[in-house]
Amino acid sequence: MSATAAQRFLQDAAVKSADLVHREIIQRGMDSYDAAHLKGRARIKDWEAARQKCQAIKREAINHLDRYLLQFEEKVISRGGHVFWAANGEEACTYVKNLATRLGVHTIVKSKSMVTEEIHLSPALEKVGIKVWETDFGEYIVQLRDEPPYHIVTPAMHLNRAQIAKLFREKVDPEIDSDDPAYLMAAARRKLRQAFFSAEMGISGANFLVADAGVIAISTNEGNGRLCTSIPRIHVVVTGIEKVIPRLEDLAVLWPVLATSGTGQGITTYSTLIGGPRRPGEVDGPEEFHVVLVDNGRSQLLADAEQREVLHCIRCGACLNICPVFRHIGGHTYGTTYPGPIGSVLTPHLGGIKEFKHLSYASSLCGACSSVCPVKIDLHHHLLQNRRNATEAGATKSSERLMFRAWRHAMLHPWIYALGGWSMRKTLRMIYGLGLAGSILDPMRVWNLHRSPVPLPSESFRARWRKGLGAN
Amino acid sequence: MAQTENPSRDRILERIRTGLRTAVAVPAMRPESEIFAPISHPLERFQQECVANLMECALTADCAASAQQLSKVLEPLPGGGIFLQDDRSLRRLVELAAPERAIRWSTQGPPAEASQATVTLAEALIAQTGSILVTASCGGRGASVIAPCHIVYATVAQLVPDLATALSHMSQQRSLEHNSFACVISGSSRTADIEKILVQGAHGPRRLVVILQTSTY
Repeated sequence: MSATAAQRFLQDAAVKSADLVHREIIQRGMDSYDAAHLKGRARIKDWEAARQKCQAIKREAINHLDRYLLQFEEKVISRGGHVFWAANGEEACTYVKNLATRLGVHTIVKSKSMVTEEIHLSPALEKVGIKVWETDFGEYIVQLRDEPPYHIVTPAMHLNRAQIAKLFREKVDPEIDSDDPAYLMAAARRKLRQAFFSAEMGISGANFLVADAGVIAISTNEGNGRLCTSIPRIHVVVTGIEKVIPRLEDLAVLWPVLATSGTGQGITTYSTLIGGPRRPGEVDGPEEFHVVLVDNGRSQLLADAEQREVLHCIRCGACLNICPVFRHIGGHTYGTTYPGPIGSVLTPHLGGIKEFKHLSYASSLCGACSSVCPVKIDLHHHLLQNRRNATEAGATKSSERLMFRAWRHAMLHPWIYALGGWSMRKTLRMIYGLGLAGSILDPMRVWNLHRSPVPLPSESFRARWRKGLGAN
Repeated sequence: MAQTENPSRDRILERIRTGLRTAVAVPAMRPESEIFAPISHPLERFQQECVANLMECALTADCAASAQQLSKVLEPLPGGGIFLQDDRSLRRLVELAAPERAIRWSTQGPPAEASQATVTLAEALIAQTGSILVTASCGGRGASVIAPCHIVYATVAQLVPDLATALSHMSQQRSLEHNSFACVISGSSRTADIEKILVQGAHGPRRLVVILQTSTY
């Protein structure tokens, strides 16, 4: 029988948190992010006001999602673009696949898009013989390793330069003889330039869909997103329906806040707006422009009064970076498209509460994620709500339900509770005395397997209370 | 052009509308306050931000000085052609600079892949973020990203204090109705995907040079 997602998660988490090389790479990466992020926040006069503004913009958009999507669609179509509404990943992949086949596409260049990861677009295209090049440097690296992105903003942050140089020697050019990041980037640039200029189709995501202007907004630093949307003759945008925002002017705060939270920059190097195919008289640009709006479970979240705001997420990655769990177990351990706190909240909605409820417990509920979220999503409370939802949906094990029933009973009957405490102290003292801590006989096995046992008190809390603990 | 068939469109819209019928409590908001500090000296701020963005900004007095600056930037570049937005002011600038290179104007087509530099105008300069705003009218989409060096010829009069002003001008002037593309560019192309170490010149230009003229003649 294959392992469940929860079992895989626990196994991978144990391995990753003990991997010292991984720990060092992540520590260095996060230290550098922390410094840049703090510096970036200092550039904004009132960070809390900025967060509140972004929250208000996204709330306005999501609470009138139908209206803003239709406004966006109308504008794009009026400029000769196409808008396709996909209820799920399969519909989105089929649309792009059919489009590529119909238009004789052999090569596709792709810029970073988490939605395409979510719907597994690249494998679907490769299955019909189309070559797909990931062109973001980090995405290119993980594509060469045949693994998913480790992080939603920095996909290859789990690798150091030596590991990447070795990979490039094996997969890109055997002559690679340096692990200098600039040298490795130059090698990738040379390789991907050929792809940019030979591809017939470019696929991008979108950070925002601007309703009043009818344009998509893409933030990139490398310029690959620019090339993907400038050179090939077809441009396809694959994005989630929740990315819409009401007004062009909203970007005056969203762009700086996204960049600050994502990388600590004041603004991303290329903040691009695209509203359609090349217009008559323009020098260049694609002849065809398609926007694929992906639902894939998002519209159901709207009906969740507590968690609708999860759709406000702008995918900056700040909650991943600050999360003490992410920092220890890393991105791949989650086994989901979206890792970290936002992924733990969102994935049960997209992939099912039964299979992914364990993610809600991969949190100490410390609230660091909520404190940094630039659109003020109350992430750690949503994790708590997911735990409750899983229990109410009957997704818990019968042994767990039985234990909690017993616990409830004991809490309502003080003498049973006292008896339980007394017998537990006796039993544990005996087991620890025999050196069996962490063994199969130890009721505290899960805790004691990886830790030294907590010293047992000589008497109960009640006894100590009677002796005057309360008076002190 | 044929309309895209959309079998799921109405179903998705219906699901959205059904979902939105669920009432959601709106949390208390504190009064709005100023998010960004006001910019009192746009030119100074622009120059500071250019330094932070690793851009080059050369202040020139007039067209002749700008032409001299252009020659200075072009001279050390490796041999090869350059691409220019076909505009009267740039034709005049090139006449004065007289570079000994093959020139391709935007009216002759997009920049060649091997172009050593592209020279364009900008729609506006943004002081707050040290950015240039370009649209498809500034020589096309590839003009600001294909060559290793992008040179922007602008005047101080084009400077706006912040992003909010630049975006609201775009809305008022309906720029995005007349252009299929616009971009706020804040520095040269870069990546930090390996160990968060900054590398300049990823897929786009390694250098972004702004020749900023104080006069309009």
